[in-house]
Amino acid sequence: METQSEEQAAAEAADSRGEGEPLQVAGAQAARPEDRMALLLRVRAQTKQQLLEYKSMVDANEEKTPEQIMQEKQIEVKIEELEKEIEEAKIAFEMKKLALDRMQLSSALKKHVEKINTKTSVLMDNMKQILSLNKSVMKSQQETRDLEDKLLDVRKKRLQLKQASERKLLEIQTEKNKQKDDLGSMENSGKIKTIQQNLEMEIQITTVIQHVFQNLILGSKANWAEDSALKETVLQLEKNLTMIQ
Amino acid sequence: MSVLRPLDKLPGLNTATILLVGTEDVLLQQLAEAMLKEDCTSELKVHLAKSLPLPSNVNRPRIDLIVFVVNLHSKHSLRNVEESLHHVDAAFFLGKVSFLATGAGRESHCSIHRNTVMKLAHTYRSPLLFCDLEIEDFRATMAQRLVRMLQICAGHVPSVSALNLLSLLQNSENPSLEDL
Repeated sequence: METQSEEQAAAEAADSRGEGEPLQVAGAQAARPEDRMALLLRVRAQTKQQLLEYKSMVDANEEKTPEQIMQEKQIEVKIEELEKEIEEAKIAFEMKKLALDRMQLSSALKKHVEKINTKTSVLMDNMKQILSLNKSVMKSQQETRDLEDKLLDVRKKRLQLKQASERKLLEIQTEKNKQKDDLGSMENSGKIKTIQQNLEMEIQITTVIQHVFQNLILGSKANWAEDSALKETVLQLEKNLTMIQ
Repeated sequence: MSVLRPLDKLPGLNTATILLVGTEDVLLQQLAEAMLKEDCTSELKVHLAKSLPLPSNVNRPRIDLIVFVVNLHSKHSLRNVEESLHHVDAAFFLGKVSFLATGAGRESHCSIHRNTVMKLAHTYRSPLLFCDLEIEDFRATMAQRLVRMLQICAGHVPSVSALNLLSLLQNSENPSLEDL
């Protein structure tokens, strides 16, 4: 790294007009004092800017930097805060410049308008065209707004329909569930139980009566095989009536 | 002086000096010539250096802008630049330093990844420019850009300072760097 070869490509691109260097003498001498003025003004502006830079460096160096070692994150956060402050200052400055320019423009315009003939100037034509364009812009914007409103209405209606259908489906579902529950509850209710019990008792009573008749017929030693009604009563012993469930 | 300090000398009248640091002699020479061909109302002085520190025996004018040229095809140039960065005072990085990466056009020859250079520029908070210095048109455009930057850093443009330019350049860069 120590091997230096610093070449001074010192081509001083002297784009200098009026630095006293030999210009084409023929006919160009009249331009020199103006160029010199331009150069002087330029150098003045440069010197101002450079002075500003040096001043700001001096001010910056006067500020005490914190001695303690801050963590990298904190430094980055601080840097961002400072950058934000710079940005805000810049924006405020730009806004003020804009406002100033606007004021200057409006006053110049006022003066101009007072001087000219309002019927024929180009400015009036421009302004008329601007007005007509603005009107058409406003019209199209109004149309856009109307269309958007219509779209919004259609969307609202769609939403309402969706909600209504949702409600209907919900109702259907609840009805179905109620039916199922009713059916289930009906089967377990007490009423059915009592009816069933009564039915059973009746069946038992009938069976007992049947047995009594059968025993009566058998005990009377009558010939029950000949009479069909008696035969039927005796043979019913086989059927078990309690199995009705 | 082993460390380059900005603003340690008084500026020359209507003069702006740029220092190009890089290992690619030919490219730097060509870039210097392109810059000097540019139409500019201030006098331009271009200094070329392979690396810092510069020898202290030469009387040189105040340096307004340093451009570190990194060739993406060679790791040596990156290392050279990184070591030269140690010899630059911190005050320079307030807008008077810029990085220039060349050779990005030929992807196959690149041994340094773009992101490496981007991280380097991000660490030093300096703008990074990409340009294929071998192609003449790009070189001429980049020369124009550098001349404008140099004028601003030398204070020749009223109401724009180097720091101003830096914050202007950074705002468009940073959103992408945060993805790195």
